[in-house]
Amino acid sequence: MQAAINITPLVDVVLVLLIIFMVMAPQMRKGPDVNLPNTTKPNSQGDERGRILVSIDDSGGLWINDQAVAAERFDEALRAAVGAEPNPKIVIRGDAKLNFREVREVMVAIEQAGFRGVGLIAKRTGAEGK
Amino acid sequence: MQFNSNDSGSSLQSEINITPLVDVVLVLLIIFMVVVPLLMDGYDVDIPRASADKSAQVAESQLILSIGSATCPILTPPAGEGIPKNCQVTLADQKIPVAELPTRVATILGGRPPEQRALFLAVDDHLNYEAVLRIIDLAKSGVEDLKIEFVAAN
Repeated sequence: MQAAINITPLVDVVLVLLIIFMVMAPQMRKGPDVNLPNTTKPNSQGDERGRILVSIDDSGGLWINDQAVAAERFDEALRAAVGAEPNPKIVIRGDAKLNFREVREVMVAIEQAGFRGVGLIAKRTGAEGK
Repeated sequence: MQFNSNDSGSSLQSEINITPLVDVVLVLLIIFMVVVPLLMDGYDVDIPRASADKSAQVAESQLILSIGSATCPILTPPAGEGIPKNCQVTLADQKIPVAELPTRVATILGGRPPEQRALFLAVDDHLNYEAVLRIIDLAKSGVEDLKIEFVAAN
């Protein structure tokens, strides 16, 4: 008679789940891969879910969340992404290689769509990830 | 003949059952692994109304930081950490080395109430974006609750 529960299958299943999440988690990030600028003390911008992610890749291409957007359709696409959200938070993920001009043009476009504040996303120096 | 095949067959179990503990810890691990990569860091900035009348906005107390590509020639991503030493910026019409920025900003804005601590940034279009964020980072390191607003560079 064995009194202890055999936990081997449990640990087995949980470890497999762990591995699945480890593989999936990086792919759950929205938008293109952007090489974010490194800075020393960026402030927290919260969780990317619930934010509207405007990404600018290293060739200046625009993305809203997961979708590549042509510059001339940016306004329209941004309004569509905001939808009926009363207080949307918009963040810009700009590539470190960009000129300030490309980021400024996107900020102007965001302003023209009627929003005043954005978050400029950076990566804490030494932090892992994209 | 008697086989005592189970020495621990007594009704007393002396070991702590760690299964629920392992369970909970692994679930917590998974939750953190999923959430942490989705957290973002960055800087909140304001964009001025492009349509607004520029002259009406200029107030006596505005602190303007100009970063020009002639005095601060960082056109490609700076290597390593920090900002290259040859970068000079103009703060309130005074040309200063970028390393002095935190102390200068702190001297000028440190005495103001937090809601009036605003730095207006006029940045040259040719500057590298990473360099601009590092200068913002540096400017913010001197004072708490510094608001950043971009204005048009002239």
